[in-house]
Amino acid sequence: MGLLSAMTASVSGMAAQGNALAAISENISNASTTGYKEALIQFQDLVDQAGVTGDYTADGVNSLIRYNIAEHGNLTGTTSPTDLAIQGNGFFLVKDASGNIFMTRAGSFVPDQNGNLVNAAGYTLMGYNIGPGGAGVTNTVSGLTPVNINGAALIATPSTAGTFTANLNSNDPVLSGAPSATNYTKKSSLVAYDDLGNPVTLDLHFSNLGGNNWEVDVYNNGVQLNPPGPVTLNFDPANGHLLASSAQSLSIAVPNGQTVNLDVSNSTQLASPFAVTTATVNGNAPSQWQGVTIAPDGTMSYNYSNGQIAPAFKIPIANVNSPDNLDTVSGDAFAQSLTSGSLIIGSASIGGLGTIKSSELESSTVDLATQLTDMVVAQRGYESNSKVFQTGSEMLSSLINMLHG
Amino acid sequence: MSLSSAAVTAQTGLSTITAEAAVLSQNIAGANDTGIYSRKTANIVSAPDGSQAASVTRASNQAVFDNLLNATSANAMHQALSSGLDQLNQTIGSLASDSANSPATSPEALLSRFTNALYTYEASPSDATLAAAAVNAAATLAQGLNSAAATVNKLRAQADAAMAASVQSINALLAQIQAVNGQIVTGTATKAGVADAQDSRDNLLTQLAQQIGITTVAGANGSISIYSDGGVTLFQGGAARTVTFSPTAVYIPMTAGNAVFVDGVPITGGSSPMPTSSGNLAGLAVLRDDTSVKYQAQLDNIANGLITSFAESDQAGSGPNLPGLFTVPGATALPASITGLAGQIAINPGADPNQAGNPLLLRDGGISGNPSYVYNTAASASYQSRLSQLLANLSSPTAFSAAGGIAVNATLDGYATASAAWLEAQRSNAASQSSYQSALLNTATTALSNATGVNLDTEMSKMLDLENSYSATARLLSTINAMFGTLLADLGNLPA
Repeated sequence: MGLLSAMTASVSGMAAQGNALAAISENISNASTTGYKEALIQFQDLVDQAGVTGDYTADGVNSLIRYNIAEHGNLTGTTSPTDLAIQGNGFFLVKDASGNIFMTRAGSFVPDQNGNLVNAAGYTLMGYNIGPGGAGVTNTVSGLTPVNINGAALIATPSTAGTFTANLNSNDPVLSGAPSATNYTKKSSLVAYDDLGNPVTLDLHFSNLGGNNWEVDVYNNGVQLNPPGPVTLNFDPANGHLLASSAQSLSIAVPNGQTVNLDVSNSTQLASPFAVTTATVNGNAPSQWQGVTIAPDGTMSYNYSNGQIAPAFKIPIANVNSPDNLDTVSGDAFAQSLTSGSLIIGSASIGGLGTIKSSELESSTVDLATQLTDMVVAQRGYESNSKVFQTGSEMLSSLINMLHG
Repeated sequence: MSLSSAAVTAQTGLSTITAEAAVLSQNIAGANDTGIYSRKTANIVSAPDGSQAASVTRASNQAVFDNLLNATSANAMHQALSSGLDQLNQTIGSLASDSANSPATSPEALLSRFTNALYTYEASPSDATLAAAAVNAAATLAQGLNSAAATVNKLRAQADAAMAASVQSINALLAQIQAVNGQIVTGTATKAGVADAQDSRDNLLTQLAQQIGITTVAGANGSISIYSDGGVTLFQGGAARTVTFSPTAVYIPMTAGNAVFVDGVPITGGSSPMPTSSGNLAGLAVLRDDTSVKYQAQLDNIANGLITSFAESDQAGSGPNLPGLFTVPGATALPASITGLAGQIAINPGADPNQAGNPLLLRDGGISGNPSYVYNTAASASYQSRLSQLLANLSSPTAFSAAGGIAVNATLDGYATASAAWLEAQRSNAASQSSYQSALLNTATTALSNATGVNLDTEMSKMLDLENSYSATARLLSTINAMFGTLLADLGNLPA
């Protein structure tokens, strides 16, 4: 029955255009939503009379909703270092309140009361703990743990190594008397740290013994430290550098601390005033946690007030073979579906995955101009369908009138 | 690219331009900074959507800055020395011509006036008035030496107090540097902006260089180590070393001031293994421990010369020489030690008419009151030989202690002249060094300003650039807006 099928087909057309308008309305309302992916309505015809000739029955249209998930929005800068965006492919892995893992690109994370990073939709950012005692990067869902920015309050590192480079003046007079805590030619000092992070001043006493030999003694508050015997630096009279046969380093036992291996091999004895050119010792005093930085490879590090940076979490990036087939979940999140393919977890910028940008957010992929023009098309499509229905209705009406006449 | 993404890009552009404008206005505000303000540059990098201000860096030139630090220290040292010597010169070393209206106050002038009075008295030994005039001239000379010695002591005490103040400010500056250095280390490690902290650390370093000569060594994460010009550690490993000094409030000629210790090493004084040689502290130490001590020794030598020249010998027996016209109050014998004589020298009350003494004893001898020491045993009114002997003593070369640092064999008069000339030479040398170093400092400051300072012309032209970019970007936004407007208007005009 052609005429009636024409009317039902136009009704399905109106319903489909209505769906399209609904999608446009959702898009426009989410034009400014971080990480929102534009919804597209795909139309597909319905045919159930293949091969039939003559009599025609219209079957109408079916509308399908698609999210253009693989398309990337623009990145816009923000001032919060925990605002994250992915430049390139992939998704952050997040967890909802009941522990289900989802994927999202909405990266406006802020710490909650426990220091876990939670985005505007309430999803908790997941990563791998690579700090001390952490399980490390496993690239599995089971190894994920919430990313927490509350670092260990204080950390102290005892000193173990250092470098001291100086020029000892070859014209300094030979020291009269034996070198002691108060008798020396030149003195310098270094700050090292013991096991608890107390600063320990290492006083280096240099005593000119004559014959291009300098004795080095290490003191702390007037108490001589190991090495028990004095170390003698023997310089080459030909060029002022240390002879290969001379001591090249000092092993200093820091009180209540570790043995510091102090490299002095670049020291010289030239006709120039005593001058220190390098004086560094590793280790640090207990230092306050001050903030976090997130590197493009997804490593989140704790910053301490003394400049130390301790990597704490690795934020992975996940992807699927067909992102457009992911199921959408409210809050700009996506769930793995039967058609999307399985979850691939990896590190940023490796294997086609994007890089993580700190202090940036991904804008919605909706373009208002496109939506407005699509809206006109939907409106006209709806009008045309209603016109078909009206025409069919008039044709039926004229049939009925003919019977009356 | 869609209209919406064009709008986002334009928006990014606007925020980049405003970030640049913020840096620009900071530069313009800093152009007249009296301290160190180095030019800041906003580094713009292209981002996926437009551009972004990645960081702010500052112009720097380490070599020129090191030069400035050296010039600052050298200038401060010579200024400290010069102003101290000026003070000494103005109070006691005046070489102004001796006149009735403004009598010269230098020991040299007073000595020559006394010698003249003695000559006049020698011509008429019986004249009691001339004797009194000679004794009065001697009293003025003794007082002149006393006040000169007091001035030297006061100058040393002042220098000592200034050293204490200098040490205090070094410690305060090091504490501030420690704090700023910590900020720079943290900021550099976390890639936060540290340009302002670096400026303020440079400012603190120039203030520190005023007090003590320093060298800096760069370390990891923008940290620095600071060493004194003698190589002693002032700041290393993020920790300031302590600078200690115990001041001495009262100076007498025997007082040796305490040394300044940095990190346990004395950096002033003759026995220092690593002495500091520039900066305010070094200038004050030279003033306190060297220049004024030498001048003190010269004054003491003059005083000792006077006492020994006028000493009386035993005419009857073989007793020890006794102090004559010049003595130390209460002395019953010639002083054993030279040190401090200038501060104590006085005329013997026995010859002082103001203390009921008899000025004619100058002619007769026996000023100490011991009759064995009377030269004019015949009590002759025209006895002249003792006066002639005294004048001969004054004009014959004597050996002086080497502590004065000038000629050791000279007549007393010659020594006094050499002392005055020495002081003037020290002063004029310090003054010329000071003005030379201050010229060098000006040059170094200008060089640093040329290398890292703000050029207003450049900033203004940059501002015009920014203004144009901003208008263009804003125009872009208004165009996008107009396009949306067109779209919406046309939609409204569609036939129903």
